[in-house]
Amino acid sequence: MGARPSAASAWISGEMVCLFAVMATLPLWIEAAGLYQYLGIEIAIWMIYGLGFNLLLGYSGLPSFGHGAFFGIGAYVFGLFQAWAFESLLLGIALATVAAFAAGAVVACFLSHRRGIYFALMTIAFGQVFWFIAIKWHTVTGGEDGLLNIPRPALELGVASLPLGSNVALFYFVLLVFAVVVVALWRLVHSPFGKVLQAVRQNEERARFVGYNVWRFKWAVFSLSAAVAGLAGSLFSMAQQSAYPDVMSLHASGVIVMMTLIGGGFVSFWGPVVGVAVYFLARDVLGAVTETWLLWFGLVFVVSVLFKPEGIAGVWQERVSGVLRLRFADAPLRSGRTGDVSIVGPEHGETKDAIGQSPSGR
Amino acid sequence: MSRRNLTRRSLLKKAGLLTAGVAATPFMGPWRYNRVYAAASDKPIVIGLTSDASGQYANSGASDRRGMQLAVSEFNKKGGVLGRKVETIHIDTETTPATGSRVAERLITRHECAFLIGAVSSGVANAISQVAQKYGTVYLNTNSSSPTESGKNCHRVKFVWDGNGTNFAQAAVKNAISAYGKKWLLMTNDYVWGHNTSKATRKLVDQFGGEIIDEILVPQGTRDFSAMLLKVQQAAPQVVAAAVGGDDQKAMRQQVSQLGLGQKMAWINNQQDWPDVYGLPIKNLFGVFGTTWYWKLDLPGVAEFVKRYQAAYPDTKIRVPGNVFYNGYMATRELLSAVERAGSTNNRKVIQQLEGLKVSARDRMQHHDAFMNPGTHQMQQTIYLATANAGTKDRDDMFKVLSQSSPAEVRDKGADAACKMESLDATPTYET
Amino acid sequence: MPNLVPHLLNGLSLGLLFALIALGFMLIVGVMELINLAHGSLFALGAYFAMVIIAPELSWLGSVGEGYQALPLAMRYGLAILLAPVLVAVVGMGLELCMRRTYGKKAEYGLLLTFGAALVIEEIIRLVWGPSEQYLQVPQAVSGAFLFAGLIYSKYKLFAALFAVFAILLVWLFLERTPYGAIIKAGAHDSEMVRALGINLTRLRLLVFGLGAGLAGLAGIVLTPIWGLRPHVGIDAVIPAFLIIVLGGIGSFWGAVLGGILVGLAVGITGAYASEWSLLSMYLLLIAVVTVRARGLLGRKSVLEA
Repeated sequence: MGARPSAASAWISGEMVCLFAVMATLPLWIEAAGLYQYLGIEIAIWMIYGLGFNLLLGYSGLPSFGHGAFFGIGAYVFGLFQAWAFESLLLGIALATVAAFAAGAVVACFLSHRRGIYFALMTIAFGQVFWFIAIKWHTVTGGEDGLLNIPRPALELGVASLPLGSNVALFYFVLLVFAVVVVALWRLVHSPFGKVLQAVRQNEERARFVGYNVWRFKWAVFSLSAAVAGLAGSLFSMAQQSAYPDVMSLHASGVIVMMTLIGGGFVSFWGPVVGVAVYFLARDVLGAVTETWLLWFGLVFVVSVLFKPEGIAGVWQERVSGVLRLRFADAPLRSGRTGDVSIVGPEHGETKDAIGQSPSGR
Repeated sequence: MSRRNLTRRSLLKKAGLLTAGVAATPFMGPWRYNRVYAAASDKPIVIGLTSDASGQYANSGASDRRGMQLAVSEFNKKGGVLGRKVETIHIDTETTPATGSRVAERLITRHECAFLIGAVSSGVANAISQVAQKYGTVYLNTNSSSPTESGKNCHRVKFVWDGNGTNFAQAAVKNAISAYGKKWLLMTNDYVWGHNTSKATRKLVDQFGGEIIDEILVPQGTRDFSAMLLKVQQAAPQVVAAAVGGDDQKAMRQQVSQLGLGQKMAWINNQQDWPDVYGLPIKNLFGVFGTTWYWKLDLPGVAEFVKRYQAAYPDTKIRVPGNVFYNGYMATRELLSAVERAGSTNNRKVIQQLEGLKVSARDRMQHHDAFMNPGTHQMQQTIYLATANAGTKDRDDMFKVLSQSSPAEVRDKGADAACKMESLDATPTYET
Repeated sequence: MPNLVPHLLNGLSLGLLFALIALGFMLIVGVMELINLAHGSLFALGAYFAMVIIAPELSWLGSVGEGYQALPLAMRYGLAILLAPVLVAVVGMGLELCMRRTYGKKAEYGLLLTFGAALVIEEIIRLVWGPSEQYLQVPQAVSGAFLFAGLIYSKYKLFAALFAVFAILLVWLFLERTPYGAIIKAGAHDSEMVRALGINLTRLRLLVFGLGAGLAGLAGIVLTPIWGLRPHVGIDAVIPAFLIIVLGGIGSFWGAVLGGILVGLAVGITGAYASEWSLLSMYLLLIAVVTVRARGLLGRKSVLEA
């Protein structure tokens, strides 16, 4: 809620322009800020991954704890394509995305009739199965040593060929993909399709009674989200020039959930973007200072879940709304009800979300 | 100019980047770094330590790091290397290859490390070495004993200091067949390292006339071995050769010792890292296992080395140095000596020095002279077989060393063929 | 083909241990509709507490400390198995107090809080006891091996399996024969009803969380002499617990026991005949069962589905 119709229906919003502008200048100041170019690539890739993931978690309320599998499939398919067929950037990425989509589609067939905890658990089970395959099928995947020496093919534009060997060049390419993904997902969540997803999230039964084929929507959003993860995975394999099974592990799948939530994926489209940036910076900055950074990060995480479960984006919204919109946007947060009161059935009173508002706006 | 955008943060450079970052970078030429600039004598030599501080190998990683730091501090006490102070910076690689890549990128591009040292997990070593090769940074794999490290996944910039699975199998198999019998069973961790190790064992068992009656694959992450151990009993082999690593091995060790199976049949284990066994009850160690060094070897210098360790680390729980510490120390010491001999931190000069490295038995504190194999970049060294020192009073004296084998006897013959190393010319020049 | 019987027996004992691991998890999921991801960390914490109780560092206590350490191991072990779960239960209750802030919000927040708590507890363990492998002593009477029908079995494994049966029965008696149990069971079905009956839901939740945490700790004490003890040992417990609960059906006591035994049999038998599949077998079992029976073997409709 909260998004003005004008902003929501536009292809490009003010936030997007600001974000792209800041990120486009990143290589100029990232070293001055005491960081390094390669970090920018990883952050941008994980932002893509997080945005795709939030399609499930934030918009559809479907918690997947095995999403790393699709990220990994993208990485492996990209690498294998370069090794077995020929070096091609766009074809490799396209194939990786399609493969992740296909894998997601198959898994979604098993998942789409499940809800809540059963859904979450099935995603864990499937995630583990894929992770197992990646380790076990070592003649293809290289096992725990991973798939190595994945090239960074040049971007062929017909007239010119842009090599992506340097980290800065690859960063700009990833940024381009990121921009496309942001615009596409923004359109998607504001389309009728996106509205149905939110209806499903708020009350699946009701959405079904209204006449939507909930199964098909859940299937579609899961497959799409898997495809985005695969796309991010293919970029990651280029950044690392290798593909490893550990991005498919339960731990790695848990981390993307954590990032998305810390950023505020439940209340904002931009939640995962914020969360990814915060996580990576914390890991890099704290990690150099103390070996127990995970303890401190965990504590901050616990405190933020306790006191600000809406995440960083939630805090931001409160601030902004406090100034600009007075208490309108704020009210549902405090009252413990969603904006669309009518859509919440009374029977689930207690365990329903206090933060029922959808992450449609800013 | 953007070739140099990874170096110093000067105003000049930033001005350059402004133009290059926006317009020129995507058109950057062939991938090659030439980071040669004046090695000001007051500029410290920074070494990036990449050992694991969390995850499965956190404990070994800490030992590894202590070894490196002792060597560095000894050089600094002598006035540094080439008149430059040696500094270290450590970042946790989390026993995760993807993290290894990122850490290597960071250490090379942000901290401008001259060298990278440290690994226990072969996956991490691999990931780091791939990045290091891209930039030309010399990297020492101190403690990963996977044969692939100096075989299939060797690199011009990577040097491997631990004995590998094949070396240990070479040392053990022939003797074990004559001592215990020809009926062998393999227990193999179902991943690359396990399969490589068991392949090496299988070959040797065949060669010396033994027979493999079964191979039990152990999935990574197995905590309960009861079903597999029942099957071992049903098969009744004379020798069990186990290639089970990490936490799996720790769980298996506990369960085998519970059953007393260690006494029922002969067990050949892979290397037992000192930080993994230190402090455990002696009965948890079973069978025969390999090591590259032991603190009670009766050789000149060993006792004094132990004292140096204790003086440097009075508070550590592990009161005597073990093989992991030893490898970390030796690798770092030999690297810094090579830099002194080369008279430069230039990667090509240092690589050439290390490729011709020969260390006397006395300096290695081992029974035989050691040398670096220039074709695989693996240290060729003495391999010891040991077993539990049952009935000892000294809780630090856990091993009984059974035999030692010379580098020639335990040579990993497949490695030279498997290793296809980049040429020195294809390796970018690197110097800080 | 080797004899199947020993593997069936072994799978059964494995299954009882799995059921023990899942017990505390089941209670919390059943009553509070909360997936306690800190289950694994509490499992590890129990084992570490027990280790300290069995072999504490007491030199600062002088002769009193020496006197304690001179007590027979069996006595110290008995003390540990009684006391350590209580301590873990206290930690669990502390967690529940934090948890209260998330009630009435999305179920995901409870999940996240326990995820964070798992992280923090594990890191604290690493900080206090170090990252290295530790060792939990067990009394002489239950260590070692015995011979049965020509094969060697571990005495400790038998003891652990019997202990698991004992704990399962105890929890069952508690649920069936005490007024508290009746309330908990009612809560598992309908928290609205519990409240309507005028029962103090706040205290019930505190109790249940404490009990669940204590059982996690107990499972840790029983299992770590087999698995070994390291700070991240909990991850080996939380995933099977998860699977077993879903397999058996959320909120069902006997479902959890049945799920545990099935997983144990699956792991035990594949371990003997196709060992490389022994870990994957439990996931495949879950996928197969849940595909056919959406709510697990004995499950009922749960609020968590919405």
